[in-house]
Amino acid sequence: MNVLVLLGGILLLLMTIIGGRKGVRSFFALFFNFAVIIITVILLCSPDINPVIVTLFACVVISCINLFYINGVNSKTKTAFLSTIICIVILLLFIIFVTNKSMIQGFGEEEIGELGAFSLLVEVDFVKIAVSVIIMSTIGAITDTAIAVSSPMREIHYHHPDISRKELFLSGLSIARDILGTSANTLFFAFFGGYLALLIWFKDLSYSVGDIVNSKIFSAEIITILCAGIGVTLVIPITTWITAYFFVRNKETNEKV
Amino acid sequence: MNLVGSIYKKMSSKDKVIIAIVLCCFIGSVIFVFNNYSFYDKPIAKIVHTNIEDVVKVSDINGNEDTLYTQHIIAKLLNGEEKGKEIHLTNEYSQSKAYDHEFQIGNELFVKIDQSDKKDVDLTGTIQEVKRDKYLLLIGWVFIIVLLIVGKKQGLFSFISLVFNAILLSYALDVYIHNSSQSLLWICGISVILFTVISLLLANGLNEKTYAAIIATLLGTFVSLLITYLVLLVTGEKGLRYEEMQFITRPYRMVFMAGLFLGSLGAVMDVAITMSSSIFGLYEKNNYISVKALIKSGMEIGKDIMGTMTNILFFAYVSGSIPTLILYFKNASPFGYTISLTLSLELARALAGGIGIVLTIPIGLYTTLFFVNRKRAKL
Repeated sequence: MNVLVLLGGILLLLMTIIGGRKGVRSFFALFFNFAVIIITVILLCSPDINPVIVTLFACVVISCINLFYINGVNSKTKTAFLSTIICIVILLLFIIFVTNKSMIQGFGEEEIGELGAFSLLVEVDFVKIAVSVIIMSTIGAITDTAIAVSSPMREIHYHHPDISRKELFLSGLSIARDILGTSANTLFFAFFGGYLALLIWFKDLSYSVGDIVNSKIFSAEIITILCAGIGVTLVIPITTWITAYFFVRNKETNEKV
Repeated sequence: MNLVGSIYKKMSSKDKVIIAIVLCCFIGSVIFVFNNYSFYDKPIAKIVHTNIEDVVKVSDINGNEDTLYTQHIIAKLLNGEEKGKEIHLTNEYSQSKAYDHEFQIGNELFVKIDQSDKKDVDLTGTIQEVKRDKYLLLIGWVFIIVLLIVGKKQGLFSFISLVFNAILLSYALDVYIHNSSQSLLWICGISVILFTVISLLLANGLNEKTYAAIIATLLGTFVSLLITYLVLLVTGEKGLRYEEMQFITRPYRMVFMAGLFLGSLGAVMDVAITMSSSIFGLYEKNNYISVKALIKSGMEIGKDIMGTMTNILFFAYVSGSIPTLILYFKNASPFGYTISLTLSLELARALAGGIGIVLTIPIGLYTTLFFVNRKRAKL
């Protein structure tokens, strides 16, 4: 039996037992997201379409799956969705600038050996693909943080309906600060777990610190981690502000009616 | 300026000291990295002039059309014996830039100077690598500053914990490299305990919440690792393609398992701390809340975080393979073959991490209940 099928089966079983219907939805969300990634890659293969726009579109679809499909359409997922998109756009501009400057696109000399049989002249702009890779690595963490901030804020607003916008914003921010450390940690360990083989290899080749820091693969990885960290941090004030703005405004309009 | 002034007045003297320290570190490190040429042994050159000498259109058997450019570069050496002299370089790059770069005036490169016996001849050389350290530093600072502005004290602590974990990881790898007789899994196991204790203590301080989270994290990671290990045994690793890891001269199955272990750790910690702090929060609000009610609320919280957490790992792992996938598809590789070759390890990691996340929900719930009950018994 195939490893992936068995692991997937165990995950589905556990999610169903522990999460019930929501667990099943979470499992299928993984599937849909996988399909979105594959479709995105196929679209990215076409040199006539701008990769950045494809990525942005993919991010919108992925946020819809992660927020609306798993958690349903309601006020907290709507504000989380809006915040995710705003954060992604800001991050995108930053990453486009960063990848142009630091030239971390494509493959490093350590990776090129295994790709030797392939033609590398494939017409696709790999600088823009690098932008896409960084954003896609982060989108899961950004939607997670956004919903983790907006959801307790709704609870606060529900229990204290007379709370002012500023108070709601400040208490949201204080909840969010507790999440910040663990979100950054999650990404950090995920990336280092994924690149463990590469790190061991760098150590084995006894590269100097200078060699490692300037090498394409290592700097690409660090830049991805840092951009992901910036994204996760940035989405916190955006979500708190948007949630505070919409929830308190809703109350005011309701009173007028 | 009024705004800056009023913010300045509001700050306590402690904040001012911290801001001053951060500013000093920032300015100091930027000045260092922008002038560290003499610390490198390899010659570094800054581009002062470029022009395109040749443009060739190429196409391959799969119908990909690309353009090759030959760029003539004049650069000024910034360190070493030939400092200040100009060097002539040739750079070939393609439109797609998968394995090459288009250089512009101002870029800094590591070069290899060609040896020649003649004097008074222009230096020539080859380009080896781009100098990327200053970009790394600047982006690092953007991250630190955003983290400090948004997170304040917690931001500082999470940064300290990141740095600490990175140092610990590097040290653990050194131990592994120099003592190959030691199993990587043992080294990883010990590091995982240290990672968990340090990160969670720094995030939440010394209290029952943290103890519950630490125990839940360790149990969750070890149980999920055991399940993954059993799955690999039962299936005989059918469907896993280790090709992409074969460049390392070490037992790559071990390295893969260790990476899997480490990769899910952050997510499992996140789930454990969320479970323990929310259940303790409920208990602190109402000391007489029933165990049944705690279990019910705990499971609800668990259901809420399950989906988005598994997605974090999924995207963090799979996205890195996008360039390789594109290259395979553009070289007309069959779809199934490409997916299994490039994504099997990433998908296995994501699924195993997902199992860890989901298992930690009940584990975290019952560990926290144990601590809550102990606290109750004391009252």
